[in-house]
Amino acid sequence: MPSSTRPRRGVLAVPLVVAATAVLAAGCVSQSSASGTKDATGGGEKGDVTITLTSSGCEPSPRTVPAGVVNFNVSNNSADSVSEAELLSGGRMLGEQENLSPGLSGGFSLRLDNGSYQIYCPGASQEKFGFQVTGTSTSTWRSNPALVKATTDYAAWIRDQVGHLVATTQSFVDAVRSGNMSQAEVTYAPARVYYERVEPVAEIWGSLDLNIDGRLDDFDKPTDFQGFHKLEQMIFQQKTLSGTNTYADGLLANVKELQTLVGQATYQPAEIADGATSLVDEIQSSKVTGEEDRYSHVDLIDFQANLDGAVEAFDVLQPALRKINPDLVSTVQDRYKAIVQSLRPFQQKPGYLDTGYVNYATVDSTQRKALSQVVNAFGEELSKVAAKVA
Amino acid sequence: MTDGTEQQGNVSRRWLLAGLGVLGAAGVAGGGFAGGYAVAQSNDTQPVAQPRAGDQIVPFRAMHQAGIVTAQQPRLMFAAFRVTATDPAELREMLRDWTTAATAMTRGQLVPGQFEPDGPPPDTGETAGLTPANLTITIGYGPSLFDHRFGLAGRRPSALVDLPHLPLDHLDPAFTGGDIAIQACADDPQVSFHAIRNLARIGTGTVVPLWVESGFGRTASTDRLQTTPRNLMGFKDGTRNIRSDQKDLLDQYVWIGEDSDQEWLRGGTYLVARRIRMFLNQWDRDVQDDQENVFGRFKATGAPLTGIDEFDTPNFAAKTASGQSVIPADAHIRLAAHENNDGLRILRRGYSFTDGLDSTGNLLGGLFFLAFMRDPQQFVTLQRKLGQDGLREYISHIGGAVFVCPPGLGTLPARATLAEQLFGTSP
Repeated sequence: MPSSTRPRRGVLAVPLVVAATAVLAAGCVSQSSASGTKDATGGGEKGDVTITLTSSGCEPSPRTVPAGVVNFNVSNNSADSVSEAELLSGGRMLGEQENLSPGLSGGFSLRLDNGSYQIYCPGASQEKFGFQVTGTSTSTWRSNPALVKATTDYAAWIRDQVGHLVATTQSFVDAVRSGNMSQAEVTYAPARVYYERVEPVAEIWGSLDLNIDGRLDDFDKPTDFQGFHKLEQMIFQQKTLSGTNTYADGLLANVKELQTLVGQATYQPAEIADGATSLVDEIQSSKVTGEEDRYSHVDLIDFQANLDGAVEAFDVLQPALRKINPDLVSTVQDRYKAIVQSLRPFQQKPGYLDTGYVNYATVDSTQRKALSQVVNAFGEELSKVAAKVA
Repeated sequence: MTDGTEQQGNVSRRWLLAGLGVLGAAGVAGGGFAGGYAVAQSNDTQPVAQPRAGDQIVPFRAMHQAGIVTAQQPRLMFAAFRVTATDPAELREMLRDWTTAATAMTRGQLVPGQFEPDGPPPDTGETAGLTPANLTITIGYGPSLFDHRFGLAGRRPSALVDLPHLPLDHLDPAFTGGDIAIQACADDPQVSFHAIRNLARIGTGTVVPLWVESGFGRTASTDRLQTTPRNLMGFKDGTRNIRSDQKDLLDQYVWIGEDSDQEWLRGGTYLVARRIRMFLNQWDRDVQDDQENVFGRFKATGAPLTGIDEFDTPNFAAKTASGQSVIPADAHIRLAAHENNDGLRILRRGYSFTDGLDSTGNLLGGLFFLAFMRDPQQFVTLQRKLGQDGLREYISHIGGAVFVCPPGLGTLPARATLAEQLFGTSP
C-alpha cells in the first residue's frame, strides 16, 4: 500500500505532516489557499466547460480555462450524426463522453495542466475544436471546499479513533497486568478494532506500526517480537500471563505515542483514498487468510474494522466525489454492500469471545475464498477514487 | 537470444541420436556412464548428428558452471532434492549418471542408455525433435548435504550455512531447503522441464524431489545484448545487474576466490534462491505515482526518477523543490544500489513464476529470485536493508534455500564427473 513515508509525486506539498515539519506544511497551506482565492475571483465553479453536440460541431465554452480540475458537461439536443465528445492531447484521448443520443447529457472530469488540447466529436461537419488550459495546476483539492472539509473531518475522526484505542488498550493492559486471563481474552479484540480502523495512518511511523501490530515473522529476531500479537500469542497459544507485563506496558506506551503523533497530522484527499485502499489490501492479504490473528482467530472483527476504516475514508470523500464522479460512488457502494452481505452468515451474538463473529478457524477455505473475492472487487473500485480527488 | 523450438532440417536430430543409442548398445555394455560416453563418441563420427558450433548449445563442461553468466534464457525449471540414500556410493553413482545425462541433454541429445523394445526407454522422450535450446544445467549443494551422512563434513565451506531469519520471511517449509539443487534454464520450457524430469528419474531411489519451481520469464539480464525484462509488477528489473563481460565485478562479487576455506570450490559461487510472492491484486490497485516511488523508477521507460533513459545513473542526492528526495528514502533502487552498500553487488538471474491460485482464490505468483554471489552474506546484508523498502507491503518471501555451486567440470581432468568433484576423489 502506498506508504506515507513516500511523497505522492504530482500532489502538492508534503503528504502527511508530523510535528517536526508542521511549520513547513503550514506555509504550503497558506500558499495554496491564496491561489485558491485567486481561482475563486475568476468567478463561480472553477473549470466548468459546456459542450453542446450539434451536427456542425462541439465547440467548448469557454475555450480557455485555468489549470486544475475541469468538468466537461456534454449534452446533445438534436444532433443525430454526433453522439460523443472526446478530449485529446496530441493523439491521445484523455477523456470522453459517449453514447449521447439526442436528448441526453453527461460529462467527465479531469485534472488538466497548462497546454493545448482538442475537443473531438466524430461525425460532425467540423470534428475538432481547440481548447486551452492556462496557468499551473498547483491548486487542486484545496480549492474544493468539500475536499478541504474531507481532510479536516478525517483528521478529527482519526483522533477520535485513536482516543478510543488508548482507552481500550488500557482496559486490555489492565486485564493482562491483573492476571485475569478470561478478561484478557475478551478485551484483546475490542482494543484491536480501533487500531485496525486507522492502521494506514499508524504506518506513517514505520517502527511504531511494527511494534504495535507486527507479527512474529515481521521481526528480524524472534526476541524482538512485541505488541498486540506477542500478547495474543501468550494469551491464546501459550496460555500464560506470566512475563506479559513488559509487553503490556510497551504496547500502551506505543499506543499513547501514536495518539500524540496523530494529534499533529494532516491528510490530503488522495492519501485518504489511498489509505482506504490499503485497508482493503490488509483485509485481503492478512485477514481473509487468517494470518493476522493466528492464535486467537478473531480475524473477522479485524476484517470488519479494516472495512469500517475504509468506508469512513470513503464517506468523508463522498460528498466531493459525488460531484466529480457519481457513478464511481454508486459502484463502490454496491461492492461494499456485497461484502456486508457476505459477512452476515458469520455474525453471531455475542459471538466468539464477544466479537460478534464466529471463530475464524471455523470458516473453511471455500468460504474464505468467497470473502476474498468480494473484498477484491471492492478494492478494485475503491482504488479509482484517489485520482479523482487528487 | 533465439527462442527457437523449431528443428532445422527435415530429420530430427534427437531421434537420430536415439537410433545411435540403439546401435551403441550393441557395442557398449552396461551403465549410464560408459554408455553415455559411447554415445557421445559415436556422435563425433556422425556428421549429421553432431550439433554445429553455435547451434543453441551451451557446453556443460566448462571452467565455470553454465547457467550463471550464460546469457539468461527465458525459461526455468528448478528443483531441490533431499538425498535419501545412506550409502555414499549410491550418491556418487547418481552424480556420475547425472553428469552423463546433463552432458547429453545440453547437447540436444536424449539421455543415453539402452533402448529395448521390451523395456522402458531411457529418455522420457518429450524433447525428441526439439533443438538444444541453450539448455544449461547448474548444480548446487545445500548445507545439509555436508553433515555426517556421506563423509562430506570436511568439504563444507564455512560460508555455507542456512540463512538467518530475514525481513519479509514467511518461509513455507514445503518450499525451503534441500541437499541438492538443479537449475535448468533453456529457451524452450519443454527442454528445461525435460532436464529436471530426467535427472529426477535417474535419481529415483537415491534422492527425492523436495520442491520444484518453474519460471516462465526472466527478470534479469546477464548479457549486454539483452533487453531488460519486466517483472510481474510491470517494472524493468535488474537494470543495474552485473553483466557477463564485467570480469572484475564477477571476480569481486560472484566467483568464490582464494579466500575460501575449501580449495575445491574456487571458481564456484553461492546460489541464493527465494520464492517471493507478489500480492498482485494489491499492487495493481496502487496508484502509478506510488508504484514508481516504490521502485524509484518510471514504469514506462525504466529510467530512474532522476533520469530520462533506463541506464541513466540514479541521482540519489536529488531533491524536489520542497526538499524531498526525488528517489524516495525507501525506494527499492536506493536501498539496493551498490553506491549505498559499500559497492556490494550480486548477480541476479531470477524468473517470474506462477503456481496457480492461493487458498483464497488469488493468483499466486511473483519472483523466483535466483542470485549468485561469492558469499551468501552478500544477500543477507542486502535483504536486511531491502526489508525496509517500499516493496515490503507487496511481497513476501515464501520459500528459499542456499546452495554452493562448485566450479565447472572443465577445471577437472577430462573424465571427472560431479561425483569426483564433490567427494574429491580421482576419476
